[in-house]
Amino acid sequence: MTLLDVAVKDLRLHARDARFLATLLLFSASVVLILSVAFGPIFREPEGEAAATLWAALFFAGVLGLTRSLDLEGESGGGDAVRLTGADPYAIFLGKTLANFALLATVFALVLPIASIFFDVGDLRTLPTLLGVAALALLGYAAWGTLFAALARGLKARELLLSVLLFPSLVPLWIGAVKCTHSLWASGSIDPVRDWIKVMAVADVLGLALAAFLYELIQEASE
Amino acid sequence: MILRAQEIRKRFESRWVLRSASLTLESGECVLLQGANGSGKTTFAQILATLLTADRGSLEIDGSPPEMNRRAARRAIGFASHRPLLYPGLTPLENLAFFGRLADVPDAAPRAGALLDRFGLSTFARTPMERFSRGMLQRVALTRALLPNPRLLILDEPYAGLDDEGSGTLNALLAEAKGRGAGMLLIAHERERAGALVTRRLLMRDGAVEPSP
Repeated sequence: MTLLDVAVKDLRLHARDARFLATLLLFSASVVLILSVAFGPIFREPEGEAAATLWAALFFAGVLGLTRSLDLEGESGGGDAVRLTGADPYAIFLGKTLANFALLATVFALVLPIASIFFDVGDLRTLPTLLGVAALALLGYAAWGTLFAALARGLKARELLLSVLLFPSLVPLWIGAVKCTHSLWASGSIDPVRDWIKVMAVADVLGLALAAFLYELIQEASE
Repeated sequence: MILRAQEIRKRFESRWVLRSASLTLESGECVLLQGANGSGKTTFAQILATLLTADRGSLEIDGSPPEMNRRAARRAIGFASHRPLLYPGLTPLENLAFFGRLADVPDAAPRAGALLDRFGLSTFARTPMERFSRGMLQRVALTRALLPNPRLLILDEPYAGLDDEGSGTLNALLAEAKGRGAGMLLIAHERERAGALVTRRLLMRDGAVEPSP
């Protein structure tokens, strides 16, 4: 199955690159640590500050992960060899999206307890809802990021273009994620900001649907 | 006719790399294309392999333009180039099994194992390729191109990095492919190494293909 084959291949390559994983995880943890020191030691509104810190760390870690994912395809021509197999481009996109999602979820799993401890926020009762919010945000990030990474592939300033394209596309997802996380940690519920869940779901569907039309075109046009 | 390229033109920025390159290839035919460095051979090979799009001219694979059915066109082609077109972080077997599954090659892993064995790489089949020599990478790259038993082989500098034993194995595999009716285009500087396989010689000069003297 193309989707799983591509996802397993990407994750295997990430798992074998110890330097990349160490950089990604240390970078994310450092962002949380530095911002907790900057906001603390007496926090004015720890729930808001922790939510902003958590999602800022994930945004920057995601750019690192996507750039690495992009390099994997370009450095020895593996991406061209994948095209030559004649495999379904959308299945390839979904496989890469799944791998990027898993990578972001790993970072989230590391950064969440660090942020909870340093800012002294969160409890286990809100954890399932928070995981749902994170799944929505990270899926959208992975989908849009994979699409834009394909667009930036082959360009000299690809990292710059990737960040420039990603930032505006992720604004609704990231505002939603910050607001829902803040609300969960402050009041134990996302009811006051429930509409943001709909916005995030629409952003996810839009990213996945756009790729169905554009991914093959982008791949073929980027050469 | 397995391949027909007519008056292919390609420009990078303001420089025309291919001016009017044409080529036909029949099943069971092995064409050797030679030419000076920078004459446009690699660009031509990438266009024939559908990795690059020509600015002008027409291309047909198995009688149809590749855009009509890109999946079928690409599955007819085995392509190897200067770049290995592999993932160095994976082992040869992982690479070949991955590409084989994506191309729906039946029994991809056992077939990959058998081909690696013929290239003398069975000991390294489960070793990540990051520290492989140029010749070892070339052997794996050629195995990837040959894995699906393609009807059209486009091999750009297939002998680069290969020792005499590797060249002999490659020629034996190409002779088997030719026997099955595969058409092949070899781009190589060394005309001797392709030996008796070659049925026609061509020369790329100033972005055009002409008969070799």
